[in-house]
Amino acid sequence: MEKRKISNNCSNARGRINRGGMEANILAILDSAESHKDSQDAKDDRIDFLEAVRTASFVPENGTPPTEKMVEAVFQILREGKSLELIMSSYELLNEIEKSFPRVYISESSGNGSRDLIVINEAWSPLMVSLDVMSSEREATQKNFCGLFDPNGFHELVQGLAELANETISKGLDTKSLGNMLLFQYLVNVLEGDFVPRINVYKESMKWSFLKECLLNMLLGSRRINYKVLMKDCLSTICGLCQDYAGIDESGCSETSMEKSSENHNNDVTIALLEVQKTTCMAMQKLLIMIMELDISKKQADMKGQTTRADGVRTPLVEIILDELTYDRDILSPFLQVFNDPKWKLELIVQYFLKYTAKPSVRTRRSNSHSEDSTFVGVLKSFSNSSSTKNIIKKIDVEVVQLLLAHAFQAYLSMSSQQHLPGLSNCKEAEIDSSLMEISKNVIAAFNSLRGADNMSNQALGSCGVANISMSILLHLIS
Amino acid sequence: MDVDDPLDFEIEDSLLINPVVPKKRKKLIGLDELLSEHYKEQSKLIEKEAKKQTKAQKSYDSDEDKNCKEAKLSSLLDDCQEQMRAVGSQEEISEWDLCVFGQQKTTPPLSFPELGSWSILQSFMNNELNSLVGLVTKQDCSFLEGLLINGWLLKLIFKCGCLEKSIATWTFLLMLYSSKEELRSSACEFWCAILSSKIQDGVPPVEIDWYPSYSELKGALEIYGFLFNFSSNIPDKNSSVFKGPPQNIITWIKFTAVFCQVSCKQLFLLTSDRQELAEVIICLFLDRRLQGLSVLMRSCMQSVISSFTEEEWINSYSEIAKSLASRVPMDLNCLRAVQCISGVETRSKHLKSAVAFQILVNCFDNKVTDEEGILNLLISINVKEKDCDFFKMYLYLVLTENWLRYDQMLRDKPVVHEIWGLFLRNCSCQISSTDLRSHASKVRNKAAFLLQGVGNN
Repeated sequence: MEKRKISNNCSNARGRINRGGMEANILAILDSAESHKDSQDAKDDRIDFLEAVRTASFVPENGTPPTEKMVEAVFQILREGKSLELIMSSYELLNEIEKSFPRVYISESSGNGSRDLIVINEAWSPLMVSLDVMSSEREATQKNFCGLFDPNGFHELVQGLAELANETISKGLDTKSLGNMLLFQYLVNVLEGDFVPRINVYKESMKWSFLKECLLNMLLGSRRINYKVLMKDCLSTICGLCQDYAGIDESGCSETSMEKSSENHNNDVTIALLEVQKTTCMAMQKLLIMIMELDISKKQADMKGQTTRADGVRTPLVEIILDELTYDRDILSPFLQVFNDPKWKLELIVQYFLKYTAKPSVRTRRSNSHSEDSTFVGVLKSFSNSSSTKNIIKKIDVEVVQLLLAHAFQAYLSMSSQQHLPGLSNCKEAEIDSSLMEISKNVIAAFNSLRGADNMSNQALGSCGVANISMSILLHLIS
Repeated sequence: MDVDDPLDFEIEDSLLINPVVPKKRKKLIGLDELLSEHYKEQSKLIEKEAKKQTKAQKSYDSDEDKNCKEAKLSSLLDDCQEQMRAVGSQEEISEWDLCVFGQQKTTPPLSFPELGSWSILQSFMNNELNSLVGLVTKQDCSFLEGLLINGWLLKLIFKCGCLEKSIATWTFLLMLYSSKEELRSSACEFWCAILSSKIQDGVPPVEIDWYPSYSELKGALEIYGFLFNFSSNIPDKNSSVFKGPPQNIITWIKFTAVFCQVSCKQLFLLTSDRQELAEVIICLFLDRRLQGLSVLMRSCMQSVISSFTEEEWINSYSEIAKSLASRVPMDLNCLRAVQCISGVETRSKHLKSAVAFQILVNCFDNKVTDEEGILNLLISINVKEKDCDFFKMYLYLVLTENWLRYDQMLRDKPVVHEIWGLFLRNCSCQISSTDLRSHASKVRNKAAFLLQGVGNN
């Protein structure tokens, strides 16, 4: 069962007084910063403050978590984003606090051997979400006071990132937008820290209530945001950002670009940007995967009758992604390039093909019964004869088919090296190898039949051609 | 009244908003304002008097007299300006920042004719499957680059279980020197994945024919323009020569982190190499242009530190500290060098304490090297003396704090505890809150804050 802990480490009165004294003492560092907001002294004071919080929380052998007020002040520093130094140190500090003093965790040892989920409800959280619809107004009034993120604020942040990602490269990327990307990454970390232990407990116990109250579910279920628009913004951010940093290489670190950046006096931002864009992409991917995992669990709970009307209905993210990818061909390639989780990538690609190949009735009740059709093998089989291949490339562009097959094959390979093949759990290496060989042969056959159907010649060796060759070499290696 | 208009009292404060010397910083207790107000008042008085005189002597004044007064007035104003600037310059040392990167050198060529001899490629050419794709023998790098970027090369290497020298060197050089972001990050992922296979469970390790050595890593830094002895000549930051490092430094840091991790099992790096690496990474923290990479640098630092064996570490950390202390200038940069070591595990704490202590020893020109000696020197400083350098006091205070706080053994020594408390009381009680000397209030506030902490314990 879920336990709720009321008090934290400082149970005795003396401890609390000391802690209170420490809090007041540390927070006092910021007081003088308030009076002259943008001066160097104010920045110094903030740096001192961050250092003091770090020292107080991590130096003692068994550190005490910083108080709510302290964490909130650190968070405000990240939100204000006055300078790169402040942004970076507050961001790192927040993540360390998150890691060392989690809000939700699974208790290691328990008398009867079962594992408990411990939730510290009093712990500070940057996200203000709740299941209670009525509380939304209270949230709104408080918003100005504490500057925390309600669902709306979260969506606004993502929207900002999407706009940023889809502008041209020449945009004046400043400290502020860098700060927003890190802010987003931190929020995803918070969501993850809350989600992972909950879903683990859920998978053991199969009780929906564990997941129902997770921050992510409450965030997505909020009536104050348009869930679909939020998801589309997430997609456009991840695709835009990845094209963006892939595009930077054209100028690379050539003389001109370096000079340009130093003219802007923004060199520290420029060099950080490259890395931060990438980590933002990864954070976005993490968010998308968590949502897809949540969707699956919710569906399971649905079928077991554990959910109520209050849980609401959400379109599964997989469907939204597939719609977007079919609707907007331009984002297909960047999405496949940046999204590198093999399991979900394979799933998405197989679903993509099924949209065109499977009969509608099969698709709706697919859920748990892993029929032949809904696997990669099934997809490859549909390319086994020329007439069905022709049928498919009438609906999907032949280039796109190749791209999808290549990415699916790569994802399959990754999974086989991690030994997580669907339907092949705990099998021996020889079996994996033989199934891999089977798949490789099928892939080659599929490419051959594509070429036959499209009258493609050898000259059409684009990026898919590279994949084509690689697959052949692989097959050669395996056999 | 418009909302945006300043309020009455804000108008009075126009001096605060537009100080006379533009670049100057504002002090907590408005030393500058007081001064500038004072000077402005004085010059107003002079102007008024000048006006009175001109009024009174209107008819008698010759042009010469006028000119003479104007000259006097302007020279007086100049003096004021000069004095203000002198006060200001004392506080100019406002931010840590070192140029640890100077002029970049030319990168080695990245063309590799011998790549065609890659055995997998060769054997594939002779295979019947090639008829399917029609790969011709004369493939240039761009074909392999495609394989690399799309991740296929890694899959191929993992499948055949062997990384040949030609591919290894080619990808290594791309990673460190390519100007194309896509190539260098793919090459970096490639190397990191292959190296990680050596230490990960459940992944068959790849046999690697060629390993980079420390000299290659160091050589790359030199080409990026890293100044191994920057302390001797701190370059002018505005000079166009010091453009800062190329973006390849990112892949360098990532690779080094993984390389060190693997190194603790495979021993590619000597102890002295790893000592130097730790030092180099701390130096990277001192360059403002790299502060956006601090997350990467921190994890690299962690993996370097944890790559030492226990015996190596005991001998190494004070070596690192000594060498670093001799390089870092004695200003805010030395505080940054201490603060950037922010790991929470025991080794980071050791190192942090040692670095702070060694810098402190250096501050006193290595005259004393024992703990009590240093502390006794500190309490012998008289803060009431007129020419007490409060900026230095501030450095001592922060350094000592870090040195003692991160060394559990030392902190518990009663003698040390006592002298430290005395030093803090000296700083917080003997400096009056109205002391307007530069940095005096900073020292006072800091000491008062620390004293609170000592009391709590």
